[in-house]
Amino acid sequence: MIKLLLFLFLLSNLFADEFIEDKSYHLGEGVQVASLPLYVGGYISADYRGVDGNNSYRLNDLALLSYGNYSKFSYLAEIEYKNFYLHNENAGKITVSKDRKIHTERLYLNYTLNENYSVKVGKYSTPAGFWNLLPINVLRETTSIPQSTIILFPNFTTGVLFSYKRYKEATFYFDVILQNNADLDPTYNNYRMDENYGIGLGYEKENLSLKLNFGFFDGLFANNRSQNLYYYMASLKYATEKIEILGELGSQKSAHIYTTKYAGYLQGLYHFTQKHGGVLRLESYDDKKLGVQDDLAIFGYSYRPLYPISLKAEYQFHKIHKNNQIMCSLSVLF
Amino acid sequence: MLHFSKILLLFILFVPLYAKEYAVVVSFKSAPITQNKIKALFLKKSSFIGEKKIVPLNLALGSSIRKSFERKVLHMSLRSLQSYWTREHYLGVRPPISMQSQKSMQAFIKNVSGAIGYVRMENIDSEMYIVYKWSDE
Repeated sequence: MIKLLLFLFLLSNLFADEFIEDKSYHLGEGVQVASLPLYVGGYISADYRGVDGNNSYRLNDLALLSYGNYSKFSYLAEIEYKNFYLHNENAGKITVSKDRKIHTERLYLNYTLNENYSVKVGKYSTPAGFWNLLPINVLRETTSIPQSTIILFPNFTTGVLFSYKRYKEATFYFDVILQNNADLDPTYNNYRMDENYGIGLGYEKENLSLKLNFGFFDGLFANNRSQNLYYYMASLKYATEKIEILGELGSQKSAHIYTTKYAGYLQGLYHFTQKHGGVLRLESYDDKKLGVQDDLAIFGYSYRPLYPISLKAEYQFHKIHKNNQIMCSLSVLF
Repeated sequence: MLHFSKILLLFILFVPLYAKEYAVVVSFKSAPITQNKIKALFLKKSSFIGEKKIVPLNLALGSSIRKSFERKVLHMSLRSLQSYWTREHYLGVRPPISMQSQKSMQAFIKNVSGAIGYVRMENIDSEMYIVYKWSDE
């Protein structure tokens, strides 16, 4: 190993002119600190929401990322402010709130054993469906998030993730999610829980990706009440240069009843040009915990002058009319 | 007119024979690998061939071989790749390192265990092993 490192060092000097690894900064790619296996970046988003006479303006995510890899190990840390500044207007009454607590969104160490197996330890995005893996505003095509990705399963897991992948003509993968401890940041962006177990099965071939997830978690609710909840979800993604179709449908139940009878969405994205896109998303859910059943259609427009800069606007038509709303946002990944 | 048609016919017949051919190569003995696996290696979804850690290499942006590789093997446009690497930045993954010339890529492949890159067929020598081939046809 030392010989290899020495060789790489000498080679990098010998071929100094031949390498082009561009050290200048490009938006959306982060920067390397010295020549260390340490890259830093981040993202920021601001949004507006107008619903039922209520207008809110928010400086929302303000996040820093740090990651790197060495040999078979890699790591990632992500900390952020949420609701950094919130200005709300309702019937002439103005309120302003500021949340200055720093939250830990992700913090993990990954070890890749070989072509097939890897293990991750720490806090990571639960690999359920497709949306939950790239949840931040700047990487989405709508400002809003489908309800199904919020209510069906814990968005983050603090524990271990075992992954198996096989690449032949198609890609097949299998995930095992394990948590039997408190969340690293229990009150943040997630179900409160101390147990979370799940499996995921995925298949990818050319433009098509399919995924199935099943899981169980022990949700902790008000008055120290806990409830075992089981979920399952099927997801589909079809993407070409011009279009992307994304769909997820699932259900959640306790030992006796459905806590979410169904929740799902189907979203179509059409790229008019490289910078302009139109989105139509149809959503439906029946959440028994909240006692809400709603159907909605979302029409959105996305403009990216550069890919890491996203300007979006959308209008939501709800079956529950008072929830009809307009949303706009500006987000940047740096 | 007949003469012109003959020249045109000869041109059409012979152009495919001279279509540029390329190969993805490594410096260790390896069985051929699928296009799907090549794509996974260069998109850094996978970083191993069997037990061997892999270092994927790109040629400079704008290189004709790189353009052919991205179009014919990765099946992705430059814009798709740029958006892909922006998303991967959020997931903690960097794009492959870039080499300025085929010559430096060949030297790197021969000297660094696990390096994988793409070269013109005529530049392959006995120290390189072909794992995948494609052409501009």
